[in-house]
Amino acid sequence: MPQVLLAVFVGMVTASSVIGWLTNQVVTSVYDRTFAAGLTTQPNPFSAVSPLYYAKNTVIYIILIGALLAIVLGVQSTIRDRKAHTFDLVLSRPVRPASYLGAKLAGLLCWVAGILALSALISWTSISAIVGSVLSPGDTARLLGFYALAWLFLLPFIILGMLTGVYSRRETTALLVPIVIWSVVTFVVPQLGTAAHPVSLLNPVPAIASQGGVFQLANLVLGPLSLTEHFKQASAFVLGDTATTGSPLLSLVVMVAFAGCMLVVLLTTQRDRMRSPLDE
Amino acid sequence: MNDTAIKTTELSHSYGPKAALKGLNLSVGEGEIFGLLGHNGAGKTTAVSLLTTLIPPTEGTATILGLDIHADADEVRRTIGYLPENVQFYGNLTLLENLRFFARLSGLDKPDARIREVLEFLDFTGHESERLSTFSKGMRQRVGIAQSILHNPKVLFLDEPTSGLDPQGVRNLREIILNLNRHFGMTIFMNTHLLAEVTQTCTSIGVLREGELVYQDSLAATLTAFPDEASLEDIYLHIEARPER
Repeated sequence: MPQVLLAVFVGMVTASSVIGWLTNQVVTSVYDRTFAAGLTTQPNPFSAVSPLYYAKNTVIYIILIGALLAIVLGVQSTIRDRKAHTFDLVLSRPVRPASYLGAKLAGLLCWVAGILALSALISWTSISAIVGSVLSPGDTARLLGFYALAWLFLLPFIILGMLTGVYSRRETTALLVPIVIWSVVTFVVPQLGTAAHPVSLLNPVPAIASQGGVFQLANLVLGPLSLTEHFKQASAFVLGDTATTGSPLLSLVVMVAFAGCMLVVLLTTQRDRMRSPLDE
Repeated sequence: MNDTAIKTTELSHSYGPKAALKGLNLSVGEGEIFGLLGHNGAGKTTAVSLLTTLIPPTEGTATILGLDIHADADEVRRTIGYLPENVQFYGNLTLLENLRFFARLSGLDKPDARIREVLEFLDFTGHESERLSTFSKGMRQRVGIAQSILHNPKVLFLDEPTSGLDPQGVRNLREIILNLNRHFGMTIFMNTHLLAEVTQTCTSIGVLREGELVYQDSLAATLTAFPDEASLEDIYLHIEARPER
């Protein structure tokens, strides 16, 4: 399963630039015909667009496929050790649970960093090919910044998977619970806080809160929990999306806070909890 | 020198409302091979899990070579080796990679020389670069023993070590256990169902019934104490069936 998700993720990242390029081609073609017919005097909306526009869809692939991949990797890393009784071998040695789980997490983070580095390379190469010139150092730095942000975004999902792998009584529950939590964080919480249509939440541009009083209040309360919206907000800023406003600072703080809280929970896991048997 | 390798005092553990081990008072001398017998669910694995510091006692205490399993847990972990029942190693790693991993967890910084020594002792050389997924059950059990003695433990805990082995595998494992005891004076505490193995391997036995220790003595004394029973199996069933402690 992780291999399939990985292949889909890398494939979608590759496709992301192509989709962006095709969108550009279609809009420009329509614009050219409209302009030639004298129906508009406005400039082509794509003429001033940043080359990083083509990476915009990757934000959604990271939220959808990247997060699921992170969850599956996290679950498998811990549940395998419970099923195979490897935790017993490890924990009967002078090894602190926090050290072992921390090392496992570090390994997974290196692996995810490798995947994201590969994705960054694919994005950089394909965008350079589409725009017909090598990306500038500034844009390259922004692209790398975006993937660093993606790494930070995936961190809580890896830990969530590891935790449910440790705490669940069944393997199916270990996979199901983090996916339900991911769905709630990705779709339900932003919808409650913004009144946005669920489909519009799949837009890489952050959802704007409805002006209704109830939704303003809900957004105030639930806003910090909208991890994916914060990732979209920070990504839009890093990728230089002109459609977004405000500072990414709050979004960064929320993402770091999420990761920090999850890390604390993981590192305080008790020895006897880690080696508890599965029901099946 | 402490003559008692393992001592438990009213050692108890409950899983929620269910008491798995009730006030275990047990003493195993240094250099003994102790066999803990009992039906499925009698509390044998719970006893080993407590003694290997994997779970905390609900009540009572235990010491391994004078070290308290709670207060000196890390020191106990350096002193013991453990092979759980039905453990699986990392099948996609080679034998050497698996053993390096567990050696480092045991605190051995440059483990290769020690790994070679252990594999030679177990007569298991020549497989170092093979992946464990290709190993038979008997070979994997040797890996299990190898990882458990890498750090020269003084006390070795084996949970159903012969489970799933063929007769040759059982015989090989028996020889390994006896050699570990003879050559290194290792105290061995094993849970087992195979009473024939107990007869040929253990120096003392204990019988657990529903979480309570209902019998403990040396094997020789046990065989003498039940002259009417033809085998250890009969003795075990006799002890299991009698109502009083």
